[in-house]
Amino acid sequence: MAAAENTPRSPDDAHYELFVQRFAQFEPDLRRFIRSLLPTTTDADEVLQQTAMVIWKKFDQYDPDTHFMKWACVIARFESLAYRRKMARDRLVFREDILDLMAEEGMEEIDTRKAEHEALEFCLAAMPEKQRNFLTLAYTPGVKVKELAEEAGSSAASFYMRLKRLRHQVMECVESKIEPLEGV
Amino acid sequence: MKFSDLGPDEKNWIDSYLDGTIDAKDFESLQNRMAESSELRAVMRRCLSVDSGLASECGANGEEADAWLSLENPTVPEVESQSKILSFPRLAPIAAAAALAFFLGLGLMSWQSGSDWIPREESASAQGFAVIGNLFDPTWKDPKAGKREGDLLGAEVFHLASGTAEIQFFSGAVMTVEGPAEISVKSAWEATCREGAVRMKVPPAARGFKLHAPSSEIIDLGTEFGLRVRDGVGHVEVFDGEIAVRHNEEEEQLMKKGASFSLDPDGPPVATTSGQLTFPDVKKFGSRVFDEVRSDFDRWKDHRDSLAKDERLIAYYSFDREQNQGLIPNLTVPRNPEFDGAVVLAEPVDGRWPGMKSALEFRRPGSRVRVNIPGEFSAFTFSAWVRIDSLDRVYNALFMGDGYETGEPHWQIREDGALMLSVMVDDSKPNPGAPNDAGLHRVYFSPPVWEMAMAGKWIHLASVFDPEARVVSHYVNGKQVSTQEIIDKFLVKTLRIGNGEIGNWGQPFREDPWFAIRHLNGRMDEFAIFQAALGEAEIAAIFEGSRAGR
Repeated sequence: MAAAENTPRSPDDAHYELFVQRFAQFEPDLRRFIRSLLPTTTDADEVLQQTAMVIWKKFDQYDPDTHFMKWACVIARFESLAYRRKMARDRLVFREDILDLMAEEGMEEIDTRKAEHEALEFCLAAMPEKQRNFLTLAYTPGVKVKELAEEAGSSAASFYMRLKRLRHQVMECVESKIEPLEGV
Repeated sequence: MKFSDLGPDEKNWIDSYLDGTIDAKDFESLQNRMAESSELRAVMRRCLSVDSGLASECGANGEEADAWLSLENPTVPEVESQSKILSFPRLAPIAAAAALAFFLGLGLMSWQSGSDWIPREESASAQGFAVIGNLFDPTWKDPKAGKREGDLLGAEVFHLASGTAEIQFFSGAVMTVEGPAEISVKSAWEATCREGAVRMKVPPAARGFKLHAPSSEIIDLGTEFGLRVRDGVGHVEVFDGEIAVRHNEEEEQLMKKGASFSLDPDGPPVATTSGQLTFPDVKKFGSRVFDEVRSDFDRWKDHRDSLAKDERLIAYYSFDREQNQGLIPNLTVPRNPEFDGAVVLAEPVDGRWPGMKSALEFRRPGSRVRVNIPGEFSAFTFSAWVRIDSLDRVYNALFMGDGYETGEPHWQIREDGALMLSVMVDDSKPNPGAPNDAGLHRVYFSPPVWEMAMAGKWIHLASVFDPEARVVSHYVNGKQVSTQEIIDKFLVKTLRIGNGEIGNWGQPFREDPWFAIRHLNGRMDEFAIFQAALGEAEIAAIFEGSRAGR
């Protein structure tokens, strides 16, 4: 917890500006990277915040001429592992060896993630409104499928079935859009 | 490796991992597989990335949540059963509550009705290459696979045992075919005739339409020609224009108007004398179809005249154009002009028998037919022929009591295609959980009975409110699709109508457009209200007696 005692620099510091600029630029990439290591987006958000804090604290060690993302990924990987250990044993978190592999390989795929995200935006835009609305419902934070389904007099199973089908559809659409990129 | 290349186990594991429902054993299996396969890990990262993208792109944000909350009580205005208080998890409770309310309000949770009444083939045929036009005296090899006029054909085999059918390809080519026939539709531009007598009419826009016959391919160059295939041997006659014929993979041969030849399985076409064989005669076919429609229509008129004498009828409209176009007469016998309907904005259009009978279209938001039906009744049966073009509104009106006062009915279709019938139980008591509602009532929903693939098709809808037997039932095309009990709390025995309207709602008690605008985007061709609960057999008989075509 020694890091917590570090005093943040004053916001007018040029360093701080560089940090904000870099972090803002790479935040979406970093979020996707962390998400691939942890069970839920909520977990990922928490680790992202933690990572941001650590990056800021260690920012004077960062060499502006090197790749920010690589450096940030190393920190995010470490924070994810720490988060993993901290979490209750009954949570479905990847084993350490898997998490390590995922992080190592994921670091090389930052551009692929970007392409996937662009493809996803395209696929969502092309999707019928009803299906998109359903996804919105399913992905709204805090909406618990079970309660939602019970309330509507339906089975959670039928909700998951539909969500599953839609997600597969989206996956296939995304893959069809990024395929040409991967072929090059 | 792609997601679609994964095995079913792996797909299931990933799905339940994303949903947070994976059990420990499966999770262990997933991780073991991931440890072995870098490809699975790569697909997994992609899935997680897409999932994360969906959460950020789709998940409701604070602003949207605020927008939803600013709607005046968007919680299910007429759905008593769904308005219990929910407890939400700690995270983003406002967004969650707003999202739930929003979706319940919009009736988007169509997945809630587990049993889909809509037949599978309806769904499957939402996309097609051709549509069945006129049919004359058809019989089917497999009666279950029988077609009706207006049915879509996808990539499928069309078997006609006898009779004549017209297939309109979406390329513009029209095929008239006489049974026994077996036609395999490949696309809007391609079909195979394995058996049967066919006449093709191909307008310039559909030039290039390909018809395969045994061992040969006929490419239409804008023309009219006949093909007859019996016992695997084809004969072709060109009536107009020209066609290209190719035997197996050999060079094409052009055939001009007047050409007649047989398709030799072992060689190029052999010229024959024209006029020896008969092909479907489009003109004759057309006039036979017309005669049949005419007699079908006459049969309906007899049905109408006898139904009009049913003493249980409160009002009966067939929407036929009258001299005075502003009114549609109530047809009950003895005639009671007091119950005639006043047409507002609704437009006369073709009904179930085009050119013979008219219907009313309620496409414009203000469209409606006003009625005033005083009196007290002990049950309701509503019966209507409708042709829905789309369900644009959250609630789409069929027949609505104006003020929705105690005893008054609301008969409508929800956005997801579910039929709805409700009667106000007590307008002086609040509806639990929905203080903005007009009063205590319950809506009885059927499973979804309509979807976009049925747009433009005439369907018969009926709903019964039976306080004595304590049931509410819904029917589509003469078949019961749901029945629900009326419990004590929602029992109402004295039923009324008073001022009301067909195809819209006159006096919504709230002004939000999503709530208040309920005109039916479609047509209505016949509408009857009975002051009795008709049984299943009676509703089936009304459907049979009033349907167009067999």
